[in-house]
Amino acid sequence: MTKERIPLRPIDTTPPLRNLDRICDMESGRLSGKVFWDDEIYQQELEKIFARCWLFVAHESQLPNAGDYLTTSMGEDEVLVVRQKDRSIRVMLNACPHRGNKVCFSEAGNARGFICNYHGWSFGADGGRLMGMHESKCYEESGFDKSQHGLRQARVDSYKGLVFATFSDEAPSLEEYLGPMTWYLDVVLDMDGEGSEFFGGCIRSTIECNWKVAAENFVGDILHGGWTHDSAARAMLGSAVANVSDMPESYSVNWNGHGYEFGTDVVGNAATLGEKNINKYLHTIRPRVAEHLGEFRSKLIGAISSATIFPNFSYLPGQNTVRIWQPRGPHKIELYTWTIVNKSAPEEIKDMWRKGCMMTFSPTGVFEMDDGENWEYCTKTSRGLVTRYQDLYVGLGMHTRIDDSELPGNVFRGQINECNSRAFYQRWKDLLEAPTWADVPDRNGRMR
Amino acid sequence: MAACADGGGDVMAESNLMQGNERMAVLDERARKAEAFLLREARLLDDERWDDWLAILSPDIHYWMPGIENRRREDRLGTYSEKHMAYFDDRLRDIERRVARFRQPSAWAENPPTRNVHLISNIEVFEGECSGELLVYSCFMNLRSRGLDEQHQLVGRRVDVLRWEDGRLRLLRRKVLIPNAMLLCKNINTFL
Repeated sequence: MTKERIPLRPIDTTPPLRNLDRICDMESGRLSGKVFWDDEIYQQELEKIFARCWLFVAHESQLPNAGDYLTTSMGEDEVLVVRQKDRSIRVMLNACPHRGNKVCFSEAGNARGFICNYHGWSFGADGGRLMGMHESKCYEESGFDKSQHGLRQARVDSYKGLVFATFSDEAPSLEEYLGPMTWYLDVVLDMDGEGSEFFGGCIRSTIECNWKVAAENFVGDILHGGWTHDSAARAMLGSAVANVSDMPESYSVNWNGHGYEFGTDVVGNAATLGEKNINKYLHTIRPRVAEHLGEFRSKLIGAISSATIFPNFSYLPGQNTVRIWQPRGPHKIELYTWTIVNKSAPEEIKDMWRKGCMMTFSPTGVFEMDDGENWEYCTKTSRGLVTRYQDLYVGLGMHTRIDDSELPGNVFRGQINECNSRAFYQRWKDLLEAPTWADVPDRNGRMR
Repeated sequence: MAACADGGGDVMAESNLMQGNERMAVLDERARKAEAFLLREARLLDDERWDDWLAILSPDIHYWMPGIENRRREDRLGTYSEKHMAYFDDRLRDIERRVARFRQPSAWAENPPTRNVHLISNIEVFEGECSGELLVYSCFMNLRSRGLDEQHQLVGRRVDVLRWEDGRLRLLRRKVLIPNAMLLCKNINTFL
């Protein structure tokens, strides 16, 4: 009885931009502010990055029960993320296929389905098929086929609780997309074998900066930590941050534009929360982590570190903040912030993290206040035409690659190193230049 | 009454903040003192007189500004909840840390300074839950300007519990509610 669906209208593709070498040359570590400013570049990013890559949409713990939903966005596309009766999670456009109105206006909740406010087009929790509408008999009389209409569905996959989605049919699998970064993600998502959860809802704010400025900050810029955040460190720790370059063992690793810079100091990030019990907790569970993940990774659970999964999902181990930088034009982002905790952690420890995360990295966080200011002006100065073409130096740490490292991914010596930034921008450029996924070059093992 | 003796429970529970119309309005001298307290506080914040501002906070203060969530009316979680993330969920120690950052020469984002105006209005004063306490409702508008062209406005409601301590009013509890489910600026680098 069910007829085959009329194929979805393909997303128009535009020819890739030319001459990107001029403004993004990662061989020599040179970038220009034009990449943060131009609307033409931004439109290409929506098409060639945000409509193609795997994007973070939710943590499974946010949707414990069938019918639980939340709304978020993938690039600028608004989507619904819904837990199904069969426990799977579906991701679909939050836009009615009749006149395009939003079908869900709340940020989260539980529902059996979604009904558009405009003409009553209604969809079940799976969103896939139109159930009915206001004055449905008029549609029936005209031979309308409801089964041809539903909320456009995305591909969905997850890794240890993190749910990702993509609207690209040709994107590689999530496993391939994340590659060896999952080995490092485990440090936060699965440190004791009992998994993790988001705790305490979501805080949303806006920053007038380009999304890449924020994503790059987390992909591999600990250099700014000791300088930008001096005031916050003194307020929270009572003294300046130690020079990260004096730390005995630290690395930067990257893969396909994802990056993680980290020390092996166990609790350096966590200490900034100014809660002794959090440090104590991490030291207490560390032997269990060592059993589960090995001695090396047990040294990373709250260490000085940061990470970005390309393009716009970032987190800080230790502070346990997880965030997504939602692009809103070339000069603005919406920042969604969550707190991630071990499922097995005592309730009062989870609550300490909820508060500590906000106290450090949030719009009222003593650390983040100085970030927002920097990021806005890294973007805004590019309003100047001459400034826009000024060389920005991203060359720190050239030739620090460790070719024989036993660690997964592309491994570099030291966390004060711009190798991850270079890998991030190289991936950005490769995606913008590639007409299809098949044309995206594999740079792993080749970046300096 | 035990809760009164130690300055209230751990959180600013709704039960401690009964609707004003169920309570006795305070219309005497104490109301004028409460109003003067709030207006002076606004001036202290605008002038960055941190020591003077800290001095009007009770050592038992709970300063709470929950994040606002955009949920449907029938959702029992409501617009905000105690267990969710909050812009401020502070005890005195936390507030002092925030002030300590403002005072660092390396608080780069505060030099040149952010210029603040706190407008306070809609003040209503009621008898508090415990003797020696006042329940005070107010609205605020905070306008901040930085650099040449940056301007951010926050408007909201506050519910305060003021308590007489050593003959002076002090801020024991504050709940700050803004209407915004997404903050339309990069930070809140002031107190509200």
